[in-house]
Amino acid sequence: MVVAGDLPLSDFSVGASFAGNEVVLSLTGEVDAVTAPEFGAFFETMIDRGHGAVVLDLAGLRFMDASGLAVISHGAARLAAAGGSLQIRTPAALIRKMLELTGFSALLQRDGERDLESVLAVASGSSGLAQDTRHFTGIYSGSEAVDGALRLAVTLAHAVVGGADGVSVSLRRLGKLSTVAATDETISHMDANQYETGEGPCVDASTEGHWFHAASLDDETRWPVFTPRALSLGIRSILSSPLRVQDRPVGALNIYSRTPLAFTQSGQEMAALFATETSSILKGIETEVGDEHLSLRLRGALRTREVIAQAQGVLMERDGMAERAAYAALRRSSLDDGSPLQERAAEVVMSTRRSQFRPDDDRA
Amino acid sequence: MPDDVAGDHPVDVLDAFRRGADLSHGELWLRYFELGGMSTGLELEAYLFGALRPSRHDHDVIAHALNERFVELGGNHPVPYADDGSDSDDDDAAAAAT
Repeated sequence: MVVAGDLPLSDFSVGASFAGNEVVLSLTGEVDAVTAPEFGAFFETMIDRGHGAVVLDLAGLRFMDASGLAVISHGAARLAAAGGSLQIRTPAALIRKMLELTGFSALLQRDGERDLESVLAVASGSSGLAQDTRHFTGIYSGSEAVDGALRLAVTLAHAVVGGADGVSVSLRRLGKLSTVAATDETISHMDANQYETGEGPCVDASTEGHWFHAASLDDETRWPVFTPRALSLGIRSILSSPLRVQDRPVGALNIYSRTPLAFTQSGQEMAALFATETSSILKGIETEVGDEHLSLRLRGALRTREVIAQAQGVLMERDGMAERAAYAALRRSSLDDGSPLQERAAEVVMSTRRSQFRPDDDRA
Repeated sequence: MPDDVAGDHPVDVLDAFRRGADLSHGELWLRYFELGGMSTGLELEAYLFGALRPSRHDHDVIAHALNERFVELGGNHPVPYADDGSDSDDDDAAAAAT
């Protein structure tokens, strides 16, 4: 029985029909960075109201980007935590469009139409994307769109790379590696064990910037502390490919298998291509390179703000100016002699010892 | 007294100045923050596009961040201030009088 009609939400709309505990959400229009929050709010409301079985019918969508995928992932995780289920009815064409947007279509076409179709089958089936998104774990990159794209990357790598039982993306941020997307909990633990022990293919690929292949952990000698932990979690082979931004390694795409010698030549080539595509997603976010630079900049900026505030205080105290007037005086003084405001502010602060600065000169 | 809004000043051209100064939104925010600006990056973008109206003070901090950049690039300081000191200024003058 249809209870709620179409709710007009800017460029897209949601229709909801209920049958007992199940709700079918039919999306039409476009889900992008602008409309995704509205879609998310609607989806979350349905979960809040206790609908344990949600069906997302995406057949009416003309367009959906990674931000929409992120909403679906969040909702799927919430439903899974509450013991509910999510089913997605997705036309293959839409998945195709998403793949195009995230740069994966070129990758998949390289492997031929047959493989593309099998990926579409996995990704659009009710036990495909829905099943996989339920298990996404890990921290967030800070960007919904990037998170969504990374989740798509690990899902596709899992589906496409022969022998893969689990896939994760690790990124180094502020000197520490962390898992940004993983196909399941075991995979997150595999990553965490490497961060803790400071060794393993993921750590090495992230640091050294080339790929590390542990073909059979039973015979592995490079990582004596990590290897037994991996074996205890049932992992027998690992392939870690470096992710690079601006030619610097910033993390790794890790593919795990419960089978020794799981990764054939073509699997390894596929992994390398996925790593390249995943690197291109990361160009949009700040990784270690940007973060370290940013924290230095922020430290300098905070110091400058302090000096400006001190100078304002001096002018307020000495010349009886209001806070804003003191700032305006500094600004005009900077403009008049073409020196940066922070230099003028520093002079004012110094003038408490030398008494040289005359802000009235600048107000004339 | 709350800040006056920037009045009729053409806030929607600020983003054009930003492009002219060859600054990303993030870079401009850092410079604005450095000069004492208190708005978030998102608010700053809204000011630049005219979706939100900055206070006179905020407008002038943004304008000054842009002007300092133009001076760095060897130019003049083309971005007008909301409080250019030429008219009897309500905001500062009134505040200074108290």
